[in-house]
Amino acid sequence: MNTQTAVQTFVSETGGWVASQLEACTRCGMCAEACHFYQGTGNPEFAPVWKIELLRRAYEQRFTLSGRVKVGLGLDKPITDADLSRWSAIDYEACTICNKCALVCPMGIDLGSLIYEVREALSAAKAVPADLMAAVEKQVTEGSPLGVTDAVFDERMEWISDEWEVKLPIDKPGAELLVVFTSIEIMKFPGNIPAIAKILNAAGENWTISRKGRESVNFGFFEGSPERTVLFLKRVFDAAKELGVKRIMVTECGHAYEALRWTAANMMEVPAGITVTHIAGEMWNYIHSGRIKVRHGALDGDGIITFHDACKIQRRGGFIQEPRKVLRMLAPNAFREMTPNKEQAICCGGGGGVIAIKEADPNRYAAFELKMDQLRATKAKVVTMTCSNCRLQFTDCVAHFGLDVKVAGLSEMVADAME
Amino acid sequence: MNWNNALEFVRGPLFNAALIIFIGGMAYRLVRVLLLGWRSDKVPGKGSKLGGVILSYLKGLVIWPFIPWVQNTFMRNPLIYLAGGLFHLSLFIVLLLGTAHMLVWKSLLGFGWPTLPLPIVDWMAAAGIAAMIALAINRLIHPVLKLLTGAAEWLNLLFVFLPMVSGYILTHHLFFPYEMGFTIHMAVVDALLIWIPFSRIAHFMFYFFSRTIHGAQFGKRAATP
Repeated sequence: MNTQTAVQTFVSETGGWVASQLEACTRCGMCAEACHFYQGTGNPEFAPVWKIELLRRAYEQRFTLSGRVKVGLGLDKPITDADLSRWSAIDYEACTICNKCALVCPMGIDLGSLIYEVREALSAAKAVPADLMAAVEKQVTEGSPLGVTDAVFDERMEWISDEWEVKLPIDKPGAELLVVFTSIEIMKFPGNIPAIAKILNAAGENWTISRKGRESVNFGFFEGSPERTVLFLKRVFDAAKELGVKRIMVTECGHAYEALRWTAANMMEVPAGITVTHIAGEMWNYIHSGRIKVRHGALDGDGIITFHDACKIQRRGGFIQEPRKVLRMLAPNAFREMTPNKEQAICCGGGGGVIAIKEADPNRYAAFELKMDQLRATKAKVVTMTCSNCRLQFTDCVAHFGLDVKVAGLSEMVADAME
Repeated sequence: MNWNNALEFVRGPLFNAALIIFIGGMAYRLVRVLLLGWRSDKVPGKGSKLGGVILSYLKGLVIWPFIPWVQNTFMRNPLIYLAGGLFHLSLFIVLLLGTAHMLVWKSLLGFGWPTLPLPIVDWMAAAGIAAMIALAINRLIHPVLKLLTGAAEWLNLLFVFLPMVSGYILTHHLFFPYEMGFTIHMAVVDALLIWIPFSRIAHFMFYFFSRTIHGAQFGKRAATP
C-alpha cells in the first residue's frame, strides 16, 4: 500500500466540483437513512458520509487552513496505511454506489460520485480487496472477469445458436448497431442472448455482436482505476469504430451502461457519431413504435409481477418509465410496484463490485433483507429487472433466504410475450 | 466594570471587525473553491440539466430541505428532520423577521421591512433553542452522529447556541442588567461571525453549489432530483 499515492490522488481529484460538495456537508448524518448497507447491518461506519471521510480529510489537510490547524493541534491525523485498509473494506464491500444517499442529503451532495473518488485513491494505493482485483486482472488478461476468453466466447455463442436455434451475427460487416452483452449473461443467463436477438431481429435492426468488444462489464470501473476503466471501454469503442456502427446497445447490465454512457466521454476520446443506448429503453421504443408486437396481457395469470429498479439503469440511467410501460402492457393486472420505487428504489446490494468480493457476503445479504421486505409486501411471484448484476444478486439471495420468487430478466419476458 | 463602554466596543469596533472577518473569510473560501478548477462535462444529456436544477431548488430551497422527500427515511431518524427543520426555521424567522434584528439589517443595508409581533418571534426563538438541545442530544446518542461528531461539531453547536440563548435572555431581561446582557449577546454574536468562515456553518454558501450539481446530475440523466 502506498499512502502517499492515495493522498496525491485525493488531492489531484479535488477540483471545485468535489471541493464545493465536501464544503457543503454539515455532517448531519441524514444520508445514513438512505443506505441499505447501514440499515441492513446497523454499522455506523457504512453511513455514506463516513465513506468519504478520507477524501474530506485529505482535502482539508491539503487545501484548508482549518485542516492544517487541526493536524497541528493533533485534532486530526495524516492518512495512514491502516486508514486505507479500513476504508477499503467500507468503500468496496459496503457500497454499490447506488447514489440513493444523494436524494436524501438535504444539501443534495452527489455522494455516489464522491465515493467513487475514494475508490480511485484506494485503487491508486493498491488497497483494493483481493477478490475484486483478481477479477480486474482476469479482465485485463482474458478479456472478461468471468473467464469469457476468445475460445469460451466462440464456444458459448455456438452453443447458444444451437440450443435456441437462433442466428447470432458476429462481426457482421455493415451493421449499424453493436450489441454488447455482459459475461454474466453469456455465462449465467444465456437465455438473454437469444431473447434479445429475437427482439432485435423482429424490430428489423441491422445489428452485430463483436468478438473484440464482446464484454460490456467493466471491472476497472468498479475498482476505480481510470487507466483500466479506459482500457476496457476502448475495447468496446474500438470494436464499434472498426465495425463502423452508429450505435452501441448495452444489454441487461447497469454499471456497463454507467461507464459507457455517462463516464466514457469525460475519461477518454470517444469516437464521434456513436451513441450509447440501453435495451431497457429500446424495448419500449420498439413496442411503442410498433416495430415489435407483443401480446397485451401476456404475463397476466402467473401471479403478481414486480419490478426492481436497478440503480445504474433507473435512478442513474433515467430509464424509469420505459420498463413500467412495457410491464403495464404485458401484465396490466399482475404488475405491482414495490415501495419505495423509481428514483427512490432500494438497491439490490450486489452491484458496484460487491458481489465479486467474498468478504462482502454478510453485508450483501444484510442489505438484501431490505429488498426482501419490499418483495414480500408485494406478494410477488415474479420479480423482473433490467440488470444482470441485480439478477445475479436476486438469484443468489432468493436461494440463500429460501424465497418462493422467480427472478427474471425483462428482455426474456418481452421475447416470450412476442407474437 | 462599565458595561456601557464594553457594549460600545462589542457592537462597534468588534462587530465591524467580526463582519469584515466574516465577509472576507467567506469570500476567501468561495474564491479558493472556484479556483480549484472545474472540468467541463462532455457527456451528452438524456434529460435537461436546467430542468433538474430548477426542480432541485424548488424542492430544497423554496419548499424546504427538511421535508423527507424520500419514502421510509423520516421514521428512521425523525429527530433530525424535525429538530433540524425547526432550528433553521427559527433562525430565519428570528434573524429576518424579529424587529430588533431587522433594525440591525436596516442600519447595515439602509432599508427595512415589516416584522412579526414579538410573541411569535419569541416562541420561535424558544423553539429554536429547544431544537438545538435536541440536536445536541441526538449527536450524543445516534450511532452515526456519534461517529461523525468531534470537537469542530461541538464548537459549531456552541457558537450558534450562545447567541440564541443570550438573545432570549436579553429579550426577557433575565439574570443580568440590560447592558450586561446586551454586551454578552453582542460578544457571542461577534465570536460566531468570526467562527463561521473557519467552520462548516459556512454550508449555507456551498449549499448553492451542491444543490446545483445535484439537480444537474439527476436532470441530465432524466431522473427526478
